[in-house]
Amino acid sequence: MLGLLKKELLKRDNKKKIKILISGPFAAGKTQFIKTISEIEPLTTEKKTTKDKEKSVKDFTTVAMDFGKITIDDEHELYLFGTPGQSRFDFMWDILGKGALGIIVLVDSTNPQTFHEARQIINFFESNYPVPMVVGANKQDLPDAWPPEMIKAALNLDTEDIPVIPVVATDKESVKNALLTLLQEIYKEFG
Amino acid sequence: MGFSGNLKDFPFPDILQVIAREKKNGILLVEWKDLIVAYYIKNGQIIFARPIDKITRVYTEQNFPELLRKLRVKEEVIPKILEKYLLNRLDQREGIFSLIFGFIKYRSDEKAPIPIEQIILEASRKLTPMEVRRKISDDMLTFMITPEGKEVVKNLKLTPVEEKVLELIDGHRTVEDIRRELFPTPPIEINRALYGLWSAGIIKRVRRGKRHKPEGLTVDILKRIIEKVKEL
Repeated sequence: MLGLLKKELLKRDNKKKIKILISGPFAAGKTQFIKTISEIEPLTTEKKTTKDKEKSVKDFTTVAMDFGKITIDDEHELYLFGTPGQSRFDFMWDILGKGALGIIVLVDSTNPQTFHEARQIINFFESNYPVPMVVGANKQDLPDAWPPEMIKAALNLDTEDIPVIPVVATDKESVKNALLTLLQEIYKEFG
Repeated sequence: MGFSGNLKDFPFPDILQVIAREKKNGILLVEWKDLIVAYYIKNGQIIFARPIDKITRVYTEQNFPELLRKLRVKEEVIPKILEKYLLNRLDQREGIFSLIFGFIKYRSDEKAPIPIEQIILEASRKLTPMEVRRKISDDMLTFMITPEGKEVVKNLKLTPVEEKVLELIDGHRTVEDIRRELFPTPPIEINRALYGLWSAGIIKRVRRGKRHKPEGLTVDILKRIIEKVKEL
């Protein structure tokens, strides 16, 4: 699968690539987010989950990255890179963070036990790759989802300029809205 | 509207942080290993605690002044009650919590015997190194004192380490710098202080350096990307 990804990246060498990172804790919905919006079938590096705790949540997990693409015009392509969620793969955050235009950190709104992992990811990128960031409170369609404003308070983002917005990663309009919110943040910063 | 979770995964300072930020009325219910306690919240402050036999009681007894009369609780004993059912339990991790906002009717003059920021600091002092690492996860984190923090801190009792840490918060020093300057204070004590001060809203994170504009990014390209995403 990594070979396919390398091939895809190399064959598009003549186009300018603009990179957006989709990060977040384990099972936050990053792979689904990319699948919903990418114009190509996303390239994923999924492996069977091995840890009991993780197996109870989902069967496969991203171990290196997910990759999706949106063609902007003849000269530009927007690349969406999904990072692995578990902190044992955090070396990939460093590799993928370089040169990113912005970051969407997805959080599973129904699972407060993963919020601290989201906080660690936000801390990492704010300290090492300070680029515009949006937090997507995913799974807002589920009944026990925490509302975005509470997630904002739980993540200590209420005093910062990082928006927390509702997301349903299976819904294209919702994913588009998250991407547009990030792009507006980028525009505010650099436009 | 509310939320629920497990104290093992979502420790007390983090719950209190949400309560303090939301500044609403409601009830925090904690099903401890040995008993169920209802904590009464008014404008983001915990003003009373009460062990209950049935959860439904908090829904049927919504009038707070009436409840105090019925329980024959005098205002002067409330700090002791909070100490027994809240402060003395801050090191326990076995419990399920749920927070429900609204529905409790208060008078306008009930006051919090202990500021919630003080309880957050107390709870943070009892965190394990692993729990602290969840929030103070990067040595390069940098903080500044919030405008409200300067006022809030006047009413709190800080430990000597918390005081020293607060003195060093200037929007430039990193966690690593603070640890170095306070050597030989144990790093865990410094991290707990930072955790508590941050959770209590006395300090906030600041971004280190300016965000760098990616090479080759123009307004025109940005506009094209935005238009393309809108069309999808």
